[in-house]
Amino acid sequence: MPGVEFVGKKGRAVNPLDKLGEEMDELVSSFDSTPIFGDLTVGLTQYTFWMFVAILVLLIIVFTFKKKQAASGLVPKGRFLNGVEFVVEYCRDDLCKGLLGDTWRKHFPFIASIFFFILVNNIIGIIPGCKPGTGCIGTAGALALVSFIYFIVMGVRAKGPIGYLKSLAPAGVGFPMNALVWLIEVFSTFLRLITLAVRIFCNLFAGHVVMGAFALLASLFIEPLLQGFSMQALGNAGASVFWVAILLIIYMVEILVAAIQAYVFALLSAVYVQIAEGEE
Amino acid sequence: MGVIGYGLGVVGAGIGIGLAAFGATSSIARQPEVEGRLFTIFILASAFVEALALIGFVVTLIAK
Repeated sequence: MPGVEFVGKKGRAVNPLDKLGEEMDELVSSFDSTPIFGDLTVGLTQYTFWMFVAILVLLIIVFTFKKKQAASGLVPKGRFLNGVEFVVEYCRDDLCKGLLGDTWRKHFPFIASIFFFILVNNIIGIIPGCKPGTGCIGTAGALALVSFIYFIVMGVRAKGPIGYLKSLAPAGVGFPMNALVWLIEVFSTFLRLITLAVRIFCNLFAGHVVMGAFALLASLFIEPLLQGFSMQALGNAGASVFWVAILLIIYMVEILVAAIQAYVFALLSAVYVQIAEGEE
Repeated sequence: MGVIGYGLGVVGAGIGIGLAAFGATSSIARQPEVEGRLFTIFILASAFVEALALIGFVVTLIAK
């Protein structure tokens, strides 16, 4: 960050903020995809590795849920069963039934898989030391592409290829405007693909960078006290407590963001399917 | 400069989310039964607005 430069006053200890710039650069570059196995063409980066961990966790959750549910009968007992059932029902009622109407049963598996995949990825990503699988543009782009192809296929199935292309232009508009609006709509359809991918990637990336920045601040401000005791070092350590408090608050916000982003992605997929399938 | 640019970008997103929250709260105050449906719409609108601010943030960090 070139803008942030605090020059320490003469005769006093160095300002901890002096080092922030280069530390920030290092932090941001640590978010680049680096292969931990194989290379970038064929192999696992740290993000895909944690994505596989997330898939594993998700499969374990789903299968234990099925097993326990079969054992407990119709009424769910215990925290785990009730918790998973709550999330599934929320997804069903709020995302599918509320938006898609009569055809919700057909789309529920897709919307729910996307929702749970992103949710588990995001939740795993905010555990310190883990990485979010959705936090790199590749995974986010792939998810967006899947959603994009899905809603186009659904639109084509509901209206036929020609009918779907026609339905992009609004009915009841005169000829020259009609074509213009159609062009804009085609453009915005492709824009959906980009915004879906960029939204989830940016949210996770930005959230993790902010958390990392406050963790850096906390460590930079505690450093003088560890090297030697002085009144100013003690003051800096006091500031460090403040940074840790902010870090904790941001951490809680990030937990919220992890859930909301999964919700938003699934919600937008449902909305796009509804737009593609719906009548004029 | 990048930091200043990000600050400028945030102004728009701040106004946008503020307007969305204002609209949602005042309509819930007038008609409390729409709260459930409005929540979805509010989150959706905020997500659209917030994405712009986040794109600004990430571009600030990546493209120096």
